[in-house]
Amino acid sequence: MAVRLTVASSRDVMRQRFSDGWVRGVDRKDKERVQIEVVQRVLDAVGAEPHRVEQAIFDTLYEERRRLETEPEGPVRSEQAAFYDRVHSATLHADARTQRELLREIIRRFTEEVTGHFDPRVYALATRVAPTGLNLLLNAMSPIKLLEAIQGGSSDLEEQFEVTGHVQEVTKLAKIGTLVVVPTHSSNLDSILMGYAIWRLGLPPHLYGAGLNLFSNKTIGFFMHNLGAYKVDRRKKAEVYKNVLKTYAGCSMELGYHNLFFPGGTRSRSGGVEQRLKMGLLGMGLDAYVHNLMARKARPDIFVVPCTINYELVLEAETLIDDYLKEAGKARYIIEDDEFSKPKIILDFVKKLFSLNSKIHVVVGHPLDVFGNRVDADGTSRDHRGRPVDRTRYVVKNGAPAFDEQRDEEFTRELAQVIVQSYRRYTMAKTTNVLCRVVFQWLREKSQGQDLYRMLRTGGPEESIPVPEAYERVDRMLRALRGLATRDRILLDQPLREYDVPALVNYALAHLSSYHRRPAVQRRGDRLFHIDRNLIFYYQNRLECHATDLAAESS
Amino acid sequence: MSAASVDLCIVGGGSFGSALALVVAGRGRRVRMWVRRQEQADEINREHTNKPYLEQRRLPDEVSATCDMQEAVAGTPVVLMAVPSKSFREVARSVGEHIRGDQVLVHATKGIEVPTFSRMTQILREETCALKIGVLSGPNLAAELVQGHPSGAVIASRYDEVVRSVQALFAGAHLRVYGGRDVVGVEFAGAFKNIIAIAAGVADGFGFGDNARSLVITRGLSEMALMGSSLGGDVFTFGGLAGVGDLVATCNSKLSRNHQVGERLAQGQDLDTILRGLRFVAEGVPTTDAVHRRAASIGLRLPICEAVHSVLFQGCSATSAMQMLMTLPVGDELSALRYR
Repeated sequence: MAVRLTVASSRDVMRQRFSDGWVRGVDRKDKERVQIEVVQRVLDAVGAEPHRVEQAIFDTLYEERRRLETEPEGPVRSEQAAFYDRVHSATLHADARTQRELLREIIRRFTEEVTGHFDPRVYALATRVAPTGLNLLLNAMSPIKLLEAIQGGSSDLEEQFEVTGHVQEVTKLAKIGTLVVVPTHSSNLDSILMGYAIWRLGLPPHLYGAGLNLFSNKTIGFFMHNLGAYKVDRRKKAEVYKNVLKTYAGCSMELGYHNLFFPGGTRSRSGGVEQRLKMGLLGMGLDAYVHNLMARKARPDIFVVPCTINYELVLEAETLIDDYLKEAGKARYIIEDDEFSKPKIILDFVKKLFSLNSKIHVVVGHPLDVFGNRVDADGTSRDHRGRPVDRTRYVVKNGAPAFDEQRDEEFTRELAQVIVQSYRRYTMAKTTNVLCRVVFQWLREKSQGQDLYRMLRTGGPEESIPVPEAYERVDRMLRALRGLATRDRILLDQPLREYDVPALVNYALAHLSSYHRRPAVQRRGDRLFHIDRNLIFYYQNRLECHATDLAAESS
Repeated sequence: MSAASVDLCIVGGGSFGSALALVVAGRGRRVRMWVRRQEQADEINREHTNKPYLEQRRLPDEVSATCDMQEAVAGTPVVLMAVPSKSFREVARSVGEHIRGDQVLVHATKGIEVPTFSRMTQILREETCALKIGVLSGPNLAAELVQGHPSGAVIASRYDEVVRSVQALFAGAHLRVYGGRDVVGVEFAGAFKNIIAIAAGVADGFGFGDNARSLVITRGLSEMALMGSSLGGDVFTFGGLAGVGDLVATCNSKLSRNHQVGERLAQGQDLDTILRGLRFVAEGVPTTDAVHRRAASIGLRLPICEAVHSVLFQGCSATSAMQMLMTLPVGDELSALRYR
């Protein structure tokens, strides 16, 4: 099925917002209701047995004290350390009932931290006065402001940033159910761009958990909080904390707040499209759906919307691939000193992208129900043959909707598989991906017998590829990609669809040699030199999930 | 008998489906069979027999039959498909018209869809909305099940509910059903053993005796585990009921259709003649073609599978295929598995 390339323009969106007047009001009591519910559910999940309660307290104390050891000295650290000291000594002498109350106190503290700055009134105001409220946010976020400043107005920005795919279905579904938007993740810019994309689609802001670094700017932080972002401190490893985050997402979905999260968990280090997803947060959609069915809610439905975010260049490519290639990188889940933390680099990046006429594409995949079935614009789930599916039946047990932990884990695994397939199908290949893949494969052929790391370090026996040979290889790959695209296996960016090979290679080279500290590939005379092979590896990895398809298509 | 009061729907009125109906209904559970022909349904409902497959054996009163898929499937807690792999997709699509998400859907078909190399559970996912899916497999020769001899099988599913539901249906029966999670391994083992059964049939057809048959079984098991694990199966599965269990039963049994194909090949008959002479489907024949192609595409060497393929599809004689196998260089017995 061909993707409907519907581009949502901000002017259309504004018109629609005001003419429909459909922006939903926010219950002032929601915040308190969510907090109470989250605390109770997390406490219930621990269970009533005294040894489990005690274990949960001590696990949390252990993890939190370890974290505090790495925190800088200051009042925040002192206050937290004092709190955990008090809990520790109280737990040692407490009976089971008191221990449960101490655990409740810990959970409440985490819950307030996560939800604390969310003010429904600001949220409601921001959504009602859109786009003004959003503009405030966008202006506070330097990259977007810069984009507009550089291009001299939002109309140009619209040309540089496209939201395509199943846009119309999603905007309709947002009116009859709750959306869970799950994009691919390659850059910290993703959060900001998705916020912008959601606004462009005419949707209310989505709740999403954002890493601490996104809150480092106080102005940005204020608006991010009040437009749905909640603070996720990835340094907090306690199980109870993770459960608070998950449960908060689930409870907010039950109340009808659209959610956004990156199911890959973190930015793709390799540059590849996510093939494995984190099940915990993803499973909260099903959790909320079953809760809604059990509560016989009028609008119980949760719709999952996979999206791909496609860049010709990635802001943090150098840091990410470096991290991927370092064995120790596996432990380095949180990167705080990357390109995103340096405003000037963001400015350079955005300037370069725009001066090269480069587009960023968000492709909205086919919306799904929480079991992975495709959903029509009217909310009907369909099986692979297009027959309607009564999705409520999946969770029926003894005649009524009910939870089943093992079953529900498997349902979520099925959903994850469908999301991964959607990512593959709605990935938009860019010229940098193609040229880097061609150069990388050539490098592999020339350095047979060498392991990957050695090849990346040394570059193998030949330092350059003749341009005619590169053209021929690009041509072959392009034909394979176009073959896959006609069969709806991948999307191709405009240059890949329309340019001839020399123009396409020039376009890719212009990008690859403009922003990064060292060019990935550079043309000198009639040869292409591989300069930064880590970057070549990074950009080619984007097509790795299509490797089998490409090989079959080529043969 | 209304659909709601039925415990199990068996889609397929062949020998294995009928044998399973007999076993489950023998424990007092109500079984409804879906069969293609109205005459067959009438015979089961009126005479309580299914003579083409069970001869004079009487089916319990708890077994009924219908040609109406909706009547068979709708509302039944467990639906079990036992149809040949060749028609599996078509029948599954028909099941998909009526099944709902709360129903359990399992199959007992030991084969691979040749054009797509799809396993049967993959077809069930593509053709129905069911998610709670599983596979029943093991050394279960229909004729022995019908006679009430002790037997064992495995029900593999990612869903505990599927395993529990199927085990409950067979509880107390002479067919002991064990649970498992490795759907890929169980399905692949069930399909692959039919190839080895053809090879064992060839060895028996030549009158080579027990040593040769044992050689075919153990080397065949090695090939099964090598390819099965490369497709995502758990290597331990091939040491279980669905793997070595089924392999030994099939390769030793004169009742096995695939074994019969091998024996007749050894006698010099051509494939068309053999298949025309068989009353039932020999799944090993299309499976050999499918597995041979896939193994070649992923670069796996499976000598017995290649030999069977050369006899079935490349005009090679059974004698020369056997000679070819016996002249291959010998290496370390377990190297292909141990050093993967």
